Amino acid sequence: MPGVDHCLQEAMAIPGAVGASLVDYTTGFPVATTGAAPNSDHQAAAAGTADVVQAATSRSLFVSALPHDLLEDLIITTAGGYHLLRLVHTDFDSRLVLYVWLDRVQGNLAVARRRMQKLADELVAT
Amino acid sequence: MTASKTVSPGRLLTQVAGERQTGVLVVGGHPGGAVYVLEGQVIYAESPAAPGVGELLTASGRLAGRTWQNALDLGTSTARVGRLLVEQGHLTRGELEMCVLGAIYDAAYFALAAGAAQVDFLTGATHWLGPVVHVDPVAVTDEVARRVRILDEIFPDARVDTTAIAPATRPPRERISLTALQWELLVHADGQRTPADLALLLGKAGFACVQELRRMAAMGLIELPEKPAPGPELVRLPRARGTAVDVQRPPVVQEAQPVVVEAQPMVVEARATAPVPDKTDPPRHSVPDESAATQALYRPPPRLARRKPGARLPKEVAGEPPPVHQGTDEVLLKRIRTALRALR
Repeated sequence: MPGVDHCLQEAMAIPGAVGASLVDYTTGFPVATTGAAPNSDHQAAAAGTADVVQAATSRSLFVSALPHDLLEDLIITTAGGYHLLRLVHTDFDSRLVLYVWLDRVQGNLAVARRRMQKLADELVAT
Repeated sequence: MTASKTVSPGRLLTQVAGERQTGVLVVGGHPGGAVYVLEGQVIYAESPAAPGVGELLTASGRLAGRTWQNALDLGTSTARVGRLLVEQGHLTRGELEMCVLGAIYDAAYFALAAGAAQVDFLTGATHWLGPVVHVDPVAVTDEVARRVRILDEIFPDARVDTTAIAPATRPPRERISLTALQWELLVHADGQRTPADLALLLGKAGFACVQELRRMAAMGLIELPEKPAPGPELVRLPRARGTAVDVQRPPVVQEAQPVVVEAQPMVVEARATAPVPDKTDPPRHSVPDESAATQALYRPPPRLARRKPGARLPKEVAGEPPPVHQGTDEVLLKRIRTALRALR
């Protein structure tokens, strides 16, 4: 049964993955980290991640008014890489987001997104 | 066990962790809390202001209260409640770890944020949940300091964190947008519940509640307390309101007196009983007369002596006693019982 560390190891096995972390998006704190982070600073990356998620959930209309139309992924692309954020939906109050940094050349966005979806689901479901 | 002393709880935590000790750091004060350390690594933290793992899991409906209680009964003595829940298939390892991690940082904020507090270290104590995760104490203390800064950046007024929350009666703007948690907090804020009460009631992280409440305070959506609490509040008193004032007539200007006096027969009567008023000088005499008349007309309800809680009102004040219950409940319960038996 996968725990948090196992989940991050699996995330690092995604083709092109450079770093991964599990971030508390209310406070911008990396609960668990592995691999590299942009500017070698997991703390700063987590704070930025939290800002992005908060902006998407609280200030914009991306989150529709339809019930159960929950936010799933946020994808940021740069010239050098992909930054994928996947919200981990737990029944209890946890507010965590799985963050994976991919190399642009080696990474495949579609594959990575599917793998992260699976990882986030496995973390919660048996 | 070290003697109880007043120090910075964060510093003592770093110290005991550096010595790779095992035990619990008990922080006194308000709200206080406890941080459990196993061989220098933090394994759990709890605080009255932060819902624990059990509250988070049961308040959200993730676990039935019975399931949680069973795990407690079975695993408390051997400190393996967490492991049992995973082994019995009630939770995944990932869920348990995420829940415990969240609870640790949440409670650590409330336990360690105070600059100085009464701190005890009980060597050898372990937590009944058992070691689920191991967190570096430096990460915990750093995160606590960062959370203090986060709150101050949002709205630098710590009164919001501890006092009873009341929503502003009139919104400060025409249009307001709220997050789901902000809505939940506003709906349940009744002027009596503190942020800790709200967090426990809703099963949300204590820090997340405080954070949203500070945001709403910055937006002007909640009423700020009049003055800071004088210290640790053990008993929460109802919020101070303006002192009650007896309804009285507005003071009447002397020049207008004669007209008013003539219009009221009661006043005339009162003057008739008064010892021989000088009719040539009505305005001066009418002042005491008028006040006497006011008293005759307005009779405030009798002042009652302070009663013990639950005591009855005195007979002359109390109205009809509530109707005696006719025992319908018993009849209803019997019918339900028969119906349930029929189902078996």
